[in-house]
Amino acid sequence: MRDLRPLAAVLIATLLLAGCAPSGAGSPTSASGTSLTWGVTTEPQCFDPHRSTQQNAFIIIRNYVDSLIAKKPDGTFAPWLATRWKISKGGTAYTFRLRDDVTFSDGTRFDAKAAKVNFDYVADPANATDAASLLVNYRRSTAPDPHTLRIELKKPDSSLLESLSSVKLGFLSPASLKKGDTLCDASRSLVGTGPFTVDGYTRGQSVRFAKNPRYDWPPGHSEHRGPARLNTVTYRFLPEYSTRAGALSSGQVDVIEGVQPLDVPLFKDVKGFQYLTGPSRQTSFTLNINYTRGPGADIRVRRALRDGADLDAVVRAVYRGTVPRAWSNIGPDNSDYDASLKGSWGNDPKGANRLLDEAGWTGRDGDGYRTKHGKRLTIEVGYPQPYVRDNRDVLIEALQAELRQNIGLDLDLKINTAGEFTDQKAHGDWTIYPNTLNPLDAGMELRQVLGSTEFLYGNVRGYDRKLDAMINRALATTDLDERRPLLARIQRRAVDRAYIVPLFAPHYQIAATDEVHGLGFETQLDSPANNYAVRVGR
Amino acid sequence: MSAATAAAEPTADTGTRASAPVALRRAAARVATGIGVMWAAATVAYVVLHAMPGKIEDILVGDQTYPGAQEAVAAEWGLDRPPLVQYLDYLWRLAHGDLGTSYAMRQQVASVVGDQLWPTVQLTLAAAAVAVGLALAVAVGTAGRARPLRALASVAELVATSMPVYWLGILLLMVFSFGLGWFPLTADSGVASLVLPAVTLGLPMAGLLSQVLRESLEATLEQPFITTVRARGVGETLVRLRHALRHALAPVINLGGWMIGNLLGGAVITETVFGRPGLGAVTLTAVTNKDVPVVLAVVLLAAFAYVVISTLVDIVNLLIDPRLRTR
Repeated sequence: MRDLRPLAAVLIATLLLAGCAPSGAGSPTSASGTSLTWGVTTEPQCFDPHRSTQQNAFIIIRNYVDSLIAKKPDGTFAPWLATRWKISKGGTAYTFRLRDDVTFSDGTRFDAKAAKVNFDYVADPANATDAASLLVNYRRSTAPDPHTLRIELKKPDSSLLESLSSVKLGFLSPASLKKGDTLCDASRSLVGTGPFTVDGYTRGQSVRFAKNPRYDWPPGHSEHRGPARLNTVTYRFLPEYSTRAGALSSGQVDVIEGVQPLDVPLFKDVKGFQYLTGPSRQTSFTLNINYTRGPGADIRVRRALRDGADLDAVVRAVYRGTVPRAWSNIGPDNSDYDASLKGSWGNDPKGANRLLDEAGWTGRDGDGYRTKHGKRLTIEVGYPQPYVRDNRDVLIEALQAELRQNIGLDLDLKINTAGEFTDQKAHGDWTIYPNTLNPLDAGMELRQVLGSTEFLYGNVRGYDRKLDAMINRALATTDLDERRPLLARIQRRAVDRAYIVPLFAPHYQIAATDEVHGLGFETQLDSPANNYAVRVGR
Repeated sequence: MSAATAAAEPTADTGTRASAPVALRRAAARVATGIGVMWAAATVAYVVLHAMPGKIEDILVGDQTYPGAQEAVAAEWGLDRPPLVQYLDYLWRLAHGDLGTSYAMRQQVASVVGDQLWPTVQLTLAAAAVAVGLALAVAVGTAGRARPLRALASVAELVATSMPVYWLGILLLMVFSFGLGWFPLTADSGVASLVLPAVTLGLPMAGLLSQVLRESLEATLEQPFITTVRARGVGETLVRLRHALRHALAPVINLGGWMIGNLLGGAVITETVFGRPGLGAVTLTAVTNKDVPVVLAVVLLAAFAYVVISTLVDIVNLLIDPRLRTR
């Protein structure tokens, strides 16, 4: 099935370019100027900000959920529901001054007590929320007066501000929190402080939002104040790339999220349309190599794998120049990205072959792969099926072909289930795990994929203690001057020892008719921003 | 149980020799087998799901681990109990009409599946109608006719059966929605939003049914009794519709019943291409996430559908083939 998609896309693209379809100009949906329809890739499994685990769910959730602070593109933070904040000397107490004019959409007041109830709820293990992972160091919060919130930590945690700017730690009204589990359903009981409110939901089809007329508390760096400009916003779930592109081309939707490389020419620099790409601050799509297992335990093999292919060419061939190849697993637009890595590795088949010769992989089998003591040089890439998307499996296959040809290494791609991978994690016997992480603080991201206590290395014996210590030190300091160089050193060590092979830096794509204005991306999420700034019209 | 009463009626109506107790006994046996099938399906699905690698609580926690996360999740869903206890507990709740709560969606399975059931049933029925209608028209119209006409029909049938549903859907969308604008994707409900998906899902089935039906019709038209009918001066159309078709339908109905059950599989793709609500997408995510309560509910539903369909097929066969009634 998958192999047919590019063909279908070509077919559609050809027909649309040939003028078989009416253009989007004067589209029926945007006629009123106050309503907007999105075509999006993903229907959230859960609409509760604290419980949702899907990156693409947050694009939608952001319409009704605000946070304490907002992350700005330069990596610093802007006021939002908190107007200013102070961090104690030891880094274990944060005091926030809250706005005094904020209400939830059910009319109740947002104050320090409401914020405290939210954090206590998330941190309580009994509620088993996903967002609890952001509050591992949370001790408690107090509300000395209605507009002062004090958060106390068990130990210093430099990722806290980033976590507080995340939609996952956004606020729901204390009354709706009491409904617990049922908040996953997109019903009117999902009460936040955001610029829109839930207006209707048809599972499998669409979710609709209405403007919150009282809204007047956008993030500090917003361009306008007061309520949103649109009256209603509809998100139509269209998981198929070609369907979304066709729906936009024919004016059935105003904006789409997720444009496959083949469809980009339909909208980019085309009259009547606009095409935007988001930042890449999340982790790049990266091969994480288990450096304690099998052939991957040998640094020479890992380095050969890292340098044995012309990654630039592979990424360009698969994505047609729409995405940059990656140099670090931290995204190139992240303020903690180590730019010195650029150009420092890769595309050296000669050196890679020398390394493999040195490592004793000198034999060759009938298929042309290298062998040692009669055993083929094979490393399995276990890629859980639910995470396979936007041609990432094709990219790995392309890399596989290059490595086979260039250095005789068998990069064995196996699409497995989430369950199989979970099992490998539990035994610490995964070999290569390809992934990207949801945007988090860079220190947290590095700990997630390289730290000794987290999901990848939690059950692996013989992890790099020095690297682990560096990560923990980076997370414990709130001193940016110490932290940033430390994060850079962690990235360099991981790449130098080829614990990771970063492949490409993914970003969100938006295409829209040219009548839609104010589209943008949210820094903390990398993903399309909510519809607060959006308007429709000539 | 509607299947039971439905099963009982025709036997009582048509079989003059079958007394009421016999009919009742037959109906009761049907119901008992039906329940047995559903129980077996649920149990097998339960065992298979638990035998699949990976602990449910680990999958639910995903990559965002924190100390105690697995334990909290396991406690929340009662996954820390032995599998047998969980199974018995599931059966007990099922017997009380409680399908449980989805792990991933955290909503009542009955409401999730219930919401999605009607769109899928609607799609399946519409697709079946398209398939049967087209197959009847094409087969009756072309059986035993001039060679070029039959060849054309054969090619059309072959194309329809071998075209992947995904392709067909995209093609239809391109022409009739994006191109001509007749069936907007954004139409919320109603017939307009059903036409393209139903044709997409129904066309391959129509191709196969039509092939089988034409062959069966052609065989029937060769039979001596058709010659007798023709000798009575009955017109060709009436010969086909009234006499041959009824005779030729039996194999088609058996095949059709089986295919309707299979439509659920095709529905997954159709629903994805058209962004339609339905069980397909829900099932797919549930299986990959090991969302046991949802998968079990869908399995039960599918088993129920098969029981109902096979009962219906038997009844329809009784109606069109009098020879079966005396047995």
